Order: sequence, then structure tokens, then C-alpha cells
Amino acid sequence: MSLAPKLAFRNLFHDRLRLIATVIGIVFSIVLVTVQMGLYVSFERMVTVMIDHAGADLWIVPRGTKCFEDPSLLDERERFRALSVAGVASATPLVIGFAQWRTPSGGTTPIFIIGTDTRGGGLKPWNVVEGDAAALAVPGAVAIDRSYFDRLETTRLGDHAEIGDQKVQVQAITNGIRSFTTTPYVFASLDRARAYTGTAATKASYFLVNVAPGADTIQVRERMRALMPDTEVLTPDEFRRRSANFWLFGTGAGAALFAGALLGLIVGTVIVAQTLYSSTKDHLNEFATLRAIGSAGSYIHKVIILQALMSAVIGFGIAAAIGLAVVRTTADTALPVVVTPTMLAILLLLTVVMCVLSAISAIVKVMRIDPAMVFTR
Amino acid sequence: MTEPVIEATDAVMFLGDGAARVQALRGVSLAIAGGELTLLMGPSGSGKTTLLSILGCMLTPSSGTVRVRGHATAGARPEELARLRREHVGFVFQSYHLFPTLTALDNVRLALDVRGENSRQAKHKARDALATVGLVAKMKSYPRELSGGEQQRVAIARAIVGNASAILADEPTAALDSENGHAIMTVLSEIAKDRGRGVLVVTHDPRIVPFADRIVRIEDGIIIGDERTAAASRQPARQVQEA
Repeated sequence: MSLAPKLAFRNLFHDRLRLIATVIGIVFSIVLVTVQMGLYVSFERMVTVMIDHAGADLWIVPRGTKCFEDPSLLDERERFRALSVAGVASATPLVIGFAQWRTPSGGTTPIFIIGTDTRGGGLKPWNVVEGDAAALAVPGAVAIDRSYFDRLETTRLGDHAEIGDQKVQVQAITNGIRSFTTTPYVFASLDRARAYTGTAATKASYFLVNVAPGADTIQVRERMRALMPDTEVLTPDEFRRRSANFWLFGTGAGAALFAGALLGLIVGTVIVAQTLYSSTKDHLNEFATLRAIGSAGSYIHKVIILQALMSAVIGFGIAAAIGLAVVRTTADTALPVVVTPTMLAILLLLTVVMCVLSAISAIVKVMRIDPAMVFTR
Repeated sequence: MTEPVIEATDAVMFLGDGAARVQALRGVSLAIAGGELTLLMGPSGSGKTTLLSILGCMLTPSSGTVRVRGHATAGARPEELARLRREHVGFVFQSYHLFPTLTALDNVRLALDVRGENSRQAKHKARDALATVGLVAKMKSYPRELSGGEQQRVAIARAIVGNASAILADEPTAALDSENGHAIMTVLSEIAKDRGRGVLVVTHDPRIVPFADRIVRIEDGIIIGDERTAAASRQPARQVQEA
């Protein structure tokens, strides 16, 4: 076995204090990037969570809609137009909008209503842990998420409150349907949602279209687009992308997350580069000796890059453990940090790239060594 | 007559730039033959180390030629010079330059490792080289656990393990007491008995003169003396080779 890995390992562990500084730099950088990327993924998932769970093949949305929470209205006539298109099996209205929740103690808090057609294939609450989503058909029934118990001053199934001036009762409790805007989602029946949001009975925010078995979704969409020029017909993917783009880039939230991640990478690269450079300087005599005894440049590069890779693996291992702890800690918060296996793989790759890039300054330093310096030291 | 292992012809070397530019060598011609131990002696600043550097392919002369086993170094790029060094030259330094984090055995193996030899066979070669310098019992010791003389012997083992044609030693006894210095020179003179290998020792140390087959004196970048010694005359085999 080649001595290069042993030499790299020994160089790295020879000065424990410097190794600790290097690892702290990498860990700091990677944890920062993990949190930023985790927030980004979480944010992206949250802004499209309703679209993901709607189960529609196509969405009819008001022209110019930027995101799911953009409350413009469509006329019921569009629904009938849609139903007249060959290949359309159903077009279910969905009503969304803001309203005020009056708590039992008399206070109010803003909520985001989602009015679902309890008879058809609309957007129904999921992850129901208490009660039943079908109970939304009962007049005044609502479904709320248990993460908003405090905000809504509600603690259990059957609790009463008011939306606007109308009495409501909690008939279903969900787990994990949280809004990134921190405004609680409240599910209600379609007609009650219209009442709570002041939407006319002939209006809806969206129509959720399901195509007939065997029909080609894209062909159906094209036919609908031709027939419904005042609306937009989007696939769930298109609507998801549009919503994500609006919240992530239209609002600058994504740019902030990216900037944080980039900052983490830069800080990490600089710290690792600085420590590797300083380690190389300390071992300059040894590298000069290697050069003097005829080592090729590639052998020396290998030693330095192996040092960088070893630092990367140690730093990444610790950073990943911290990142997973952050994931667990934030799991029940309004914006949990999400780490996926793909993200972990990307982070490992980023760590390796960062450490190898950091090694360049050390390599440049070493390649400028005059091997004859060994005679004078 | 055998071909010299290293040969410099009319080597001129300038060092530094501008006002600091000095001529370190002024047309030096020197051939190191296999089977002899040559001492290169001269005062500080005489050009000994510069000559050692160009003979050892660490530098190329400003003019003139250097040939290592017939390969000219003129115009060679750093990687080519490195290849010539690892294939033909072994170095012994005044300050040993061992790797403090590696054992004696690994320090010796390193000279083979940089040549891409890292098999079990390489380990045996390194062990044999340590045996040649009488240090096989300490092959697992780290440099800090060895005396100066022992460290220098490890450095010699590293220089010979790759079967280099030329061993170039820079003041190998300067940091040692007379007993250890004597031991080191005994090892080097034993190595020089190999007809395929020439040993050049740069030194100020008059105590090691008795080990030399030949003494070359240099001053102000010019060779001012080149003489055979009594040691050489006691070794007819080498004289025959020289003749």
C-alpha cells in the first residue's frame, strides 16, 4: 500500500489543535449550508403542500395567478366550460381566502380558509389524527392542525369558536399541515368557506380537474386552453413551479437562503484553505525532501489532497450528525429543516469540492519549493 | 574505463538577479565514477552546495552540461529532473530530513514509494537497506527515538534503497560527534565499494579525509585540486576501474 495516505493522515493528526480548527471550520460551514438548504427544501415543500395533496390532474386558475395563496376568483361558468371538454371527468371548485378566527377568550387571529367540496374530489384535509374529514359536511364543521392549538385557543375535538360572526366546531384535527406564513390553515366545506370569505356562490378560487380514465392530460389541457381563454390551465407541476418560484424568488426568500448557503461555503473554504496552507507551510521541509528525493508533483498533490479529503470526511460526519439533530429539533416547528438523502449526498460532494479547492493554495505553495532548499535547512 | 555515473562539463552557474547576481560556478568539470568515494572540500561560499545541486539534478547549470547516467539535464523541466533524481540519485543531508511522523522503515520505504514501488517487496528492500546500515533492530522506531548517528544511517538507507547510481552527501557528519561521524563514513565507504555506485561527500570535516579515494577542492567556483588518496591506492580494484 502506498505511503501517501499514511503520510497525509500523520500530517493531519500531527497537530491536533490545527486539525480541530480545520474540522470546526468545515463543520460550521456545512451545518450552515445544511440548515439553509434544509430550510429551502422545507420552504419549497410547504409552499406547494396544498397543490401536492389536491390530487388534481389539472388546475384551472385565474389568469395571472402567482401562487396557491393568491386569492382571485373564477366564475362558475368556467367550470361548466371545462366539463364540456372531451376527456374531463370532473371539475371540483375550491375556495380559499383569509378570514378572522375569534377565539373563546374573545381575541381574533387571521386564518386561511380552504373550502373543499365534501362530496367530490376536492382538496381535503389529510393526516387526520382525530375526528373525520367527512364530518366537514356538517354545517359549521372545520378541520384544524394541532400545531395551531395555541394560536386558535383550541385544545380538542368538539371545541367551539367563531369565524367572522359564524359559529364553528372542530370536527377533525390534522397533524403537520402547517403554513409557512404562520397563518393557520382551516378546512371547511365549500359553501361555508364561501360564507367565511365573502365569496359569492357562483365563484370559486380554483377548479380542480380530473381527466377521464385513458384520456391524455396534456391533450385535455390544450383543448381546455383553447376553450377557456380567460383562465389558465396548469398541470400540478406547472402550478407547483409557479408557486415555488413566486415565494422563493419573487419574494427574495430563496435568495436569502441561497446567500446564507453561499456564505457558509465561502467561510468554510477560506477556513480550510487557511489551515491547510498553514499545515503545508509547517511541513514544507518534508515536502521539499520529497521533491529532493525525486517525488513527482502528482505524489505531493496526492498527499495534500488526501489531507483535504480526510478533513472533509471527518468534518462532514460531524456536520451531518449536527444537521440531523437540527432536523429532529425543528421537526414540529413552523418551518422545519428538511434533510433528504439526496441533499446529504450533495452536501458530501460540496464538502469534498470545498476541501479540494482549499488544497489548491497549499499545492501552489508546495510546487514553488526549490528542492535545493534541503541543503540549507 | 566505466562511464561516469554523473559528469559535469564546463558547468557555469549564476545565482540571484540584478545586483545580487553572483557567479557560483565558473566552468567546473567533474566526473564521479562508480566504486569510489570522492570528497568535495572547500571553504564556505566556494560553490560546493551549488555543484552538489546541479550534480544532483536539483538545478540545471546556466551553461555547460551535466549528464546523469548519460542523460543530459540541460533544458529538462522540473518533473524530468525529479525523475532523474528518483531513478539515479540518492541524497544524504546534513540535517537528515527524515519524516518525523514515519518510522525508520517507512522513511526508507518512502524513497521507493515515490517511484511507485509499494508492494511487499518494497518493504523487504527497505528492511534490507536498514540492515546494510545496521539498523534493522530499530526499523519501527520514529526519528525522535533515534540518535543523530542513527538518524543519519536511516537517511543513508533511504538514499541507497532505490539502487541509485550516485549517492550525494551534504556534510553528513557535521552534526555528529567523532564516533558517529566515523561510523557514518564507514557505512558510506562500504557503499562506495559497489562499482556501480559513486559516492560524493561535501565536507569541511578533515577527520573524514582518510575515508576518501579522491579529494576534489573547490574555491570561488573553480576546482583547484583533484587528487587520489592513499585509501584509493590501497584499493587496486577501484584503481583498475578508474584507469
